Amino acid sequence: MSYEPRIVGFLCNWCAYSAADLAGMSRISYPPTIRIVRLMCSGRIDPVIIVDTLANGADGVLIAGCLPGDCHYVEGNLNAEVRIKILKNLIAKTGLEPERLRLEWIPASGGTLFAEVVKDFTNQLTSLGPSPLAGENPDKNILELLAVVRDTVADVRLRELVGKKRQITEKGNVYGEVISKEEFEKRLTDYIDDEFDRHKILRMVKERSLSVRELSERLNLSPQRVLRHIAAMRRKNLVAVERIEGVSPLYTALEV
Amino acid sequence: MEEELRVGCYICHCGLNIAGVIDVEKVAEATGKLPNVVIARHYVYMCSEPGQELIKKDIKDYNLNRVVVASCSPQMHESTFRSVVEEAGLNRYLFEMANLREQCSWAHANNPVKATEKAKDILRMAVAKVRLLQPLEKREVQVKPATLIVGGGITGIQAALELANRGFSTYLVEKLPYLGGRVAQLNRVILTNERASEILKPMLNALTGNPNIEVFTNTEIEEIGGYIGNFEIKLKIGPRFVNQKCNLCGKCLEVCPVEVPDEFNFGLNNRKAIYIPHSDSVPRIPTIDGANCTRCGECIKVCEQNAISLDSEPQNKNISVGTIILATGYDPYLPQGEYGFGEYEDVITQFQLERMLSNNGPTNGRLVKPSNGKVPRNVVFILCVGSRNPHRQYCSRVCCSVALKNAMLIKKEYPETQVSILYRDIRSFGKGQEELYGEARLAGINFFRYSPDNPPKVSRLDNSQIQVEVYESILGMNIEIPADLLILAEAMTPRKDSAELGSKVGVTRTPDGFFREAHPKLKPLDTNSEGIYLAGAAQFPKDITECIVQTCGAAARASIPMSKGKVDVEPIVASVNEDLCIECGTCQSICPYGAIKKGENGKAQVTEILCKGCGSCAASCPARAITIFHFTDEQILAQSLAALGRGEP
Repeated sequence: MSYEPRIVGFLCNWCAYSAADLAGMSRISYPPTIRIVRLMCSGRIDPVIIVDTLANGADGVLIAGCLPGDCHYVEGNLNAEVRIKILKNLIAKTGLEPERLRLEWIPASGGTLFAEVVKDFTNQLTSLGPSPLAGENPDKNILELLAVVRDTVADVRLRELVGKKRQITEKGNVYGEVISKEEFEKRLTDYIDDEFDRHKILRMVKERSLSVRELSERLNLSPQRVLRHIAAMRRKNLVAVERIEGVSPLYTALEV
Repeated sequence: MEEELRVGCYICHCGLNIAGVIDVEKVAEATGKLPNVVIARHYVYMCSEPGQELIKKDIKDYNLNRVVVASCSPQMHESTFRSVVEEAGLNRYLFEMANLREQCSWAHANNPVKATEKAKDILRMAVAKVRLLQPLEKREVQVKPATLIVGGGITGIQAALELANRGFSTYLVEKLPYLGGRVAQLNRVILTNERASEILKPMLNALTGNPNIEVFTNTEIEEIGGYIGNFEIKLKIGPRFVNQKCNLCGKCLEVCPVEVPDEFNFGLNNRKAIYIPHSDSVPRIPTIDGANCTRCGECIKVCEQNAISLDSEPQNKNISVGTIILATGYDPYLPQGEYGFGEYEDVITQFQLERMLSNNGPTNGRLVKPSNGKVPRNVVFILCVGSRNPHRQYCSRVCCSVALKNAMLIKKEYPETQVSILYRDIRSFGKGQEELYGEARLAGINFFRYSPDNPPKVSRLDNSQIQVEVYESILGMNIEIPADLLILAEAMTPRKDSAELGSKVGVTRTPDGFFREAHPKLKPLDTNSEGIYLAGAAQFPKDITECIVQTCGAAARASIPMSKGKVDVEPIVASVNEDLCIECGTCQSICPYGAIKKGENGKAQVTEILCKGCGSCAASCPARAITIFHFTDEQILAQSLAALGRGEP
């Protein structure tokens, strides 16, 4: 049987969901590949849910909200945009194609646009082929890395930074300094990269204790970088030295 | 022990709309096998009386505690079926609607097999969600029988009269020192040709004589807090510097040494720093423009009444109301740099023309060339200035008819003067307005059609004569027209401070910057913030008649909760798990409604009546401590997994 992608669409009630209704009312046909979850706002969608949806084998995930400036709830769509952008970058690190996650602005009047988006996304996913996480034998490696992504987007510090991004870049942080969008993006990207590595390390040392060298080899990161991560994680009481083997300390995860 | 889940599923044929494509029998069969589904039926019209009775009977017979109806879009019938389950004794939120018509049968009519498969998935997703739904209770809040009307133009004044006459306390707040808004600046109005001031006078008299109305001029909204029923408003009343002892002798106006452009006349003349905005101004006492006054004290020296005090400070006043009407009107577009405006003195806007033609205007109603004070022999109008272009795609609605009216007034008063109108399309629609166009043609006004790709060019010849060159698209030729006076029919634009006011009251704006109605067709007078209504040109360009119609409607809408004295509060709102909350304040920074804030114990607290249930806070909560009732993470994920055939069911 030929492969037909399965898309889960999280649609804003006020625009994209109405556009999907309008497509039906106008009898505009589109591939029967999308399953729609109705939300009140695209800003409602927690990145953790998107990760879980992808991990469970969705070939594609569509988030669709109102046009910028047109959000029913002032700016929920912009909050969604910030999160999705970060999530896409993280997904790219797992080997899963980031194109499988798509954010679109579809106004309520966009029946034709909705149908086109579904058509186009279906074609794109058809040429990408089935998700490596769909079916009976999901790719273990990607699944593991996706679990790290999940840890990262569920991370308290990161979520606070992301949640306050627009405040910090538009209204100023607690010290009253407004950080430029570019500067913030750069710092955030660095921070996310670090967090991703650290969550990876945490998962590894949870299984068994490892030395910096072992971690560096498995992660394909310089030992200096791993050591920096370890130091930071020790400060947060996430890891500790379990024992010393020869001259190298072995690190293990602490129960939080 | 937890109550056993007993789900009833009802698949609607919608005549042949659904059943003509989807095999409803098969869908019902598959749905019947899902966990906790006690009964799965299909029926020809679920929304019909017998369809509704079927659900009610089943709820009793099968002891159902969750119901799924798979039919049309929830935007169509969700509330119908919620009421059905409620009538049968279930909580109305223990119901989920599956969209089989708009999002399945109608969209996939060419593929019944796949449509049937998709329908099964849609039912599975709905069952997955309905199993996790929790009963929610609607709450009531009391509504104060008082209204705040923002904007003292004709729209706001009419709203105040409407509501005060129904017996509600009404606060009319105007940021300028006088009432009347844009209409006060007009000369005559279209259709009746009455003087605008004559229209306003009886309204203003009714206003000042009404005991239910309190008027605040020179006043701004500093803060708005609260919610429908109980808005708390902090007003900032700017100082007038002149009190009621003033006997209008006018000596102060003579001695004041400061001259600034008169904004009431759009800069056609100057006024003093102490001034009476215009001769029909209400209230009619002078005011001092604190920003330009040099505090020289000359006015105090000549004031025999001791009515002037230069050290007055703004005062605050708090009011509380149940509803708010936004009637803030519009700003005329300033076509700086277009068609020689700002460069040539004899290029003016249509609003400046209104002032010029007004009896109480800078020329006492005489049509003159601003450059030399002579009567112009050739007057040219250009329409659609600032409207219907990539920056402002909308049509400003009134400029065509106003230009026709002004062209005819000029023609009647100065028959020797040639009047030409350069238009893209004449859109003088509405009662009596197309007739105006016919009359203008008969009156000998010249009409030239131009295309936006090739707009008129304005230049000044060596003899200082202004010339307009236009490619007449009907004749297909270039025409040169001398213009002693060139009038630009400028667009209506959103008030410059509308973004600021919008964010204070939590009312969104459309991309063109006007306030957004809750629904363009069905709720054109409401906003998304409950208890706040829209009237007049604050929502979109309108003529006076339309403003009055809308403001009567908005007043009627506002009086519903105030007459009832209470409103129901939607229970689909955010809720904080205090044990998980880490007191970071992220939710507070993200909520556009101020509905979630750190409470006294540092934990986030939701003001349910302000919360709209959008869920941005929940999706960004670092500790994932926020739940949105009826759209919980578990419910969303369950639907998503059910779509993928994972999870249970």
